[in-house]
Amino acid sequence: MTHDRWTNGDSELTDALRVLYAAPAEESYWNALEARILDYVARCDERSVWWTELADMIRPGLIAAAALILAASLAMARSEQLEARNAYATLIAPSPASVEPSTRAASVGDGDMAIHYLLSR
Amino acid sequence: MTVPAESAISERAIVIAAQRGSDEAFAALVRLHQRRAYAVTRAIVLSHEDAEDAVQEGFLHAHRALDRFRPDQPFGAWLYRIMANAALDLVRRRKVRDADELPESIPMPFRDPAESGELRERLQAALTRLTDRQRAVIVMHDVEGFTHGEIGRTLGIPEGTARSDLHHARAALRRLLQDIRSTS
Repeated sequence: MTHDRWTNGDSELTDALRVLYAAPAEESYWNALEARILDYVARCDERSVWWTELADMIRPGLIAAAALILAASLAMARSEQLEARNAYATLIAPSPASVEPSTRAASVGDGDMAIHYLLSR
Repeated sequence: MTVPAESAISERAIVIAAQRGSDEAFAALVRLHQRRAYAVTRAIVLSHEDAEDAVQEGFLHAHRALDRFRPDQPFGAWLYRIMANAALDLVRRRKVRDADELPESIPMPFRDPAESGELRERLQAALTRLTDRQRAVIVMHDVEGFTHGEIGRTLGIPEGTARSDLHHARAALRRLLQDIRSTS
């Protein structure tokens, strides 16, 4: 006679599930699993302590680096400001070579002007 | 899963010692709960190896969260919830990794399905067709003997949902395995 395995009730299904999901019975297995769990927890905690210490060191390091960057930026900005000021001063300062001949041009002759120009160079 | 009052008191003492940093106390908690923890994770994941990994991960989470546990609460319920979450996380990660689709239908072998190896394979395949939660509920109930209430607390679902998941899981397995017939 042929019958449907699963319509006879759920007991066969439950039995099959129990076989499939049976946990290891040996005591040695559980001892080994316990050791594995404790070892894993200890290792992860060690790593976590290491990271915490590193994070503690990183924080002041980052603050110092940020302060250095700020100081360097300020120094650079200041030096750029000084350079610009010097360049401006150079630009507006009277140039003796170009001004003198033009101011004297009216009072001296062409020959004298040429000599003055040559001497001024 | 009822814990006698005396052992509950001693467990409470162990938990408090573990919270104060005693490694021996934590080891005792692992010894006390690892079988049940394995049963919870095994119900959710698809393999024995994954269940071991989830138990390991679950105990790590529990160790890190131990100071947040209130000793007046049942430790087992708290721990098994963590285990269930660790197992569900593992299942999610595996799904992302193994992006391969499951076959649309379960292969129908021509050999005698009553052969135990084959029957096991078919049942295993059928179980993969259930939702993670349905599979967890039916295994926790039928294999491990959890009550609907315990299943609900562990998986973070209402008791009624656990009950209806069990009903749907059984119906789905019956449907998926209906072609397996044995002669008697």
